[in-house]
Amino acid sequence: MKTILYDRHLELGAKIVDFAGWQMPIHYTSVIKEHLAVRNAVGLFDVSHMGIIDVTGIDAGAFLDYLSTNQILGKEKHTAIYTVLPLETGGTVDDVIVYCEDEQHYFVVVNASNREKSLNHLKKHAAGFKVKIQDRFLEDGILAIQGPNALKLISPLFLEAKNLKKMHFMQVLYHGQKIILSRTGYTGELGFEIYAKNALILELFDWLLNEGKPFGILPIGLGARDTLRLEKGYSLYGHELSESIMASMSLSAWTIKWQRDFIGKQAMVLPHQQQYGVIIEKGIARENYDVYKNGHIIGHVTSGNYSPILQKAIAVILVDDKLNINDTVEIKIRDQLVLAVVTKLPFIPEKK
Amino acid sequence: MKFTKTHEWIKKEGDIAIVGVSHYAQDQLGDIVYVELPKVDKSIKAGDEVAVLESTKAAADVYSPLSGTIIEVNSILNQNAELINRSAENEGWIFKIRFDNEKEMDEMMEELDYKKKNSV
Repeated sequence: MKTILYDRHLELGAKIVDFAGWQMPIHYTSVIKEHLAVRNAVGLFDVSHMGIIDVTGIDAGAFLDYLSTNQILGKEKHTAIYTVLPLETGGTVDDVIVYCEDEQHYFVVVNASNREKSLNHLKKHAAGFKVKIQDRFLEDGILAIQGPNALKLISPLFLEAKNLKKMHFMQVLYHGQKIILSRTGYTGELGFEIYAKNALILELFDWLLNEGKPFGILPIGLGARDTLRLEKGYSLYGHELSESIMASMSLSAWTIKWQRDFIGKQAMVLPHQQQYGVIIEKGIARENYDVYKNGHIIGHVTSGNYSPILQKAIAVILVDDKLNINDTVEIKIRDQLVLAVVTKLPFIPEKK
Repeated sequence: MKFTKTHEWIKKEGDIAIVGVSHYAQDQLGDIVYVELPKVDKSIKAGDEVAVLESTKAAADVYSPLSGTIIEVNSILNQNAELINRSAENEGWIFKIRFDNEKEMDEMMEELDYKKKNSV
């Protein structure tokens, strides 16, 4: 499958890979160069492979609240809520962002790899709730504009952007058509995401790439998307969350608001494993490498890569033991046991 | 310069050969962030895995095209692994070997042949 921007990616020299059945750019120039552009200037991402699902009706809030670890019911209009959708058994269907337009109108943005699964999950549990569930998989696309220069870049086009608070969104007009502008992102930088019909996504991509030149804009591929979120300690579905990894065992445990009832809550009350961030002494730790402590295996690596900001290798590990900051473990990298130190998350400090 | 099917190159200087990976190889690997260099004085056979390159995408083994003794390694790569991306076939050399058997070079490809088959 291809997004509306596929031809643009080719024109820009992208190396294309298959990601969840989508032909997506892994990088255009280099992962590190693109990563640094987002941290120091501004980067433009095509994330149209993710899915948008509308959830509307009298019970929309209560329905989504029941399916979510985070609280959805009672949230203000125009807020965006990051949350995990659990199974009855406690494992994870997907991690998503729920956008609350008003009490009866929400849309949910799901991972590319979980589009159909999440849609089916919502439909399966809709019985007993007065809700309508409708996907916008084919018509709409999504762009992300992330980096210290993001606001300066989009302000001439969207005057109201400067008033947008973090995890809030608004409807704006672009060429007479309504689009959604949200202050959300997966990079930890000042940034925005745009939800619009495919034709507008194409126009906006071109405009942003052009107008962004004096701001140092680069198109950013999935390679840098991964190193950026890893530095910030954000979960990636299929790594830190999966049908066998519960929210309570993950980096996303903070989303769980225990005072409510929600699907899978009982199953996740006593997590038998937890995730930690580590910095590795040398080499790169990659997914599924074994983690040792005192000579025996205590878990494995869920994600690992190089941090261009720290200039060190970093990783997230899923282990049976409780660990403290500065504790050491060993990670088996090919045949060698390499020292890794547990560190506070995020790996790089918050800005502002 | 001569090349192997596994994307290493050699430059002969008397009884020493300088060894690195090709420009094509670094392009395939992407940003190289770590190099595991061999130990000096290590004695190796042609085909032995001698070094490892780690990029953001993957790890890649570097094989020695020749048998002999490693006499020098490019220790700049310990701090600046990205030198291989910038100058794979020149400043990004990985190790130097005092080779035992010049005949082992006969099996390697000429530069033109290698580059015809492997272009960026």
